[in-house]
Amino acid sequence: MHDRPDALELLEAVTEFIGDEILPVVDDHRLRFRTLVALNALGIAYRELRAGDDDGPSSSELRDLARRIRAGDVPGDALPLLKAHVASKLRISNPSYLDKYG
Amino acid sequence: MVPEWMDALGEVRSAVLLPGGASKEAWAVEVDGRELLVRRAGGGVIHQMTLTLEQEFEVLRTAHEAGVRVPEPVSYYRDLGGREAFSMERVHGETIGRRIVRDPPDGLPEQMAEELARIHAIPPDRLPFLAADDPVGRMRAELDTVDEPHPAIELGLTWVDERLARRRAPTFAHGDWRIGNLVVSPHGLEYVLDWEFAHVGDPAEDVAWPLVRAWRFGADDRRLGGVGDVEPYLERYNELTGQDVSLEELDVWEVLGNAKWAIGCLTQARRHLDGRDRSVEYAVLGRIAAEMEYELLDLVEQAS
Repeated sequence: MHDRPDALELLEAVTEFIGDEILPVVDDHRLRFRTLVALNALGIAYRELRAGDDDGPSSSELRDLARRIRAGDVPGDALPLLKAHVASKLRISNPSYLDKYG
Repeated sequence: MVPEWMDALGEVRSAVLLPGGASKEAWAVEVDGRELLVRRAGGGVIHQMTLTLEQEFEVLRTAHEAGVRVPEPVSYYRDLGGREAFSMERVHGETIGRRIVRDPPDGLPEQMAEELARIHAIPPDRLPFLAADDPVGRMRAELDTVDEPHPAIELGLTWVDERLARRRAPTFAHGDWRIGNLVVSPHGLEYVLDWEFAHVGDPAEDVAWPLVRAWRFGADDRRLGGVGDVEPYLERYNELTGQDVSLEELDVWEVLGNAKWAIGCLTQARRHLDGRDRSVEYAVLGRIAAEMEYELLDLVEQAS
């Protein structure tokens, strides 16, 4: 058991520091873009940690499915299964991206 | 500070290293009263699917001779401070996708068609080092370097593999033809940049690449790169080239384009992960690939 702040709280602290104190004083266009990318990366890490272990397909299940599909043996339910799998990745990496699909 | 190795270029007044990857450097240089861009090999490993700088210079020169709007190539150097390099005219104008799609100039889709027709008319035998390959095979080989299962991308590739016509004679192809690699002014298309993915293949691949959602830069309702409709672009392209690329065929190539950019993101993330190019930008791309995976699944679903 660690003392507080825990990992999520530390990520929040760093995100607030970069967003509130660094970003407003970064004028260089390129550096500003990279700072925003870094904030995005922190956001992904935060959401991933908060969500905990995902209950989606395991790495070996995905590997088997990938191999089958490449061999031309596409399971009948592959499309809905993969849409659900990729949607769950997006809920961590970029939740608002899914809004585009209604 | 002008590095000593630049003496070979001429009378250099200023030199600025532009931000970018470690595998190839880009310098904005003022030499003999002229603004040049110097591309020079970096310390890192160059992307396996790209041309060498010597080949890229040769492609640029051939495109320039063919009347394609490209920055004028100036000199190739086998050894510029111990590394391969070439110089070309430094051009100005907008390349940032998000800004271009905000207010695209009138007629840009037709201009894109005209320029692409000119590019595809370059005789491939002028550039004998260019490789011709099957695009699905090329992408599978690249995906295999990632060592992480991506069944959604595999589904896209298998779906495309079953539908690609593969009946058209291969032509010279730009390989990265999209908004972001075109210099645009209020008058329209000014220059075509980034020739390092040039190859020989089905010209429909280039035609469809700017349709990929990621290259619409948020202007999703304008399917051609966020700047216009596909129909006038395709019609003008077919008219000028005598090709018969159909909208249905573009749907297939658009799925392939999404798979290609998803794989591109995954391989660039590996540049960071394996230490070739440590960069938060490359790192995050590994998590962006899922966006193209979802888009391609959605396109496949709509098509069936």
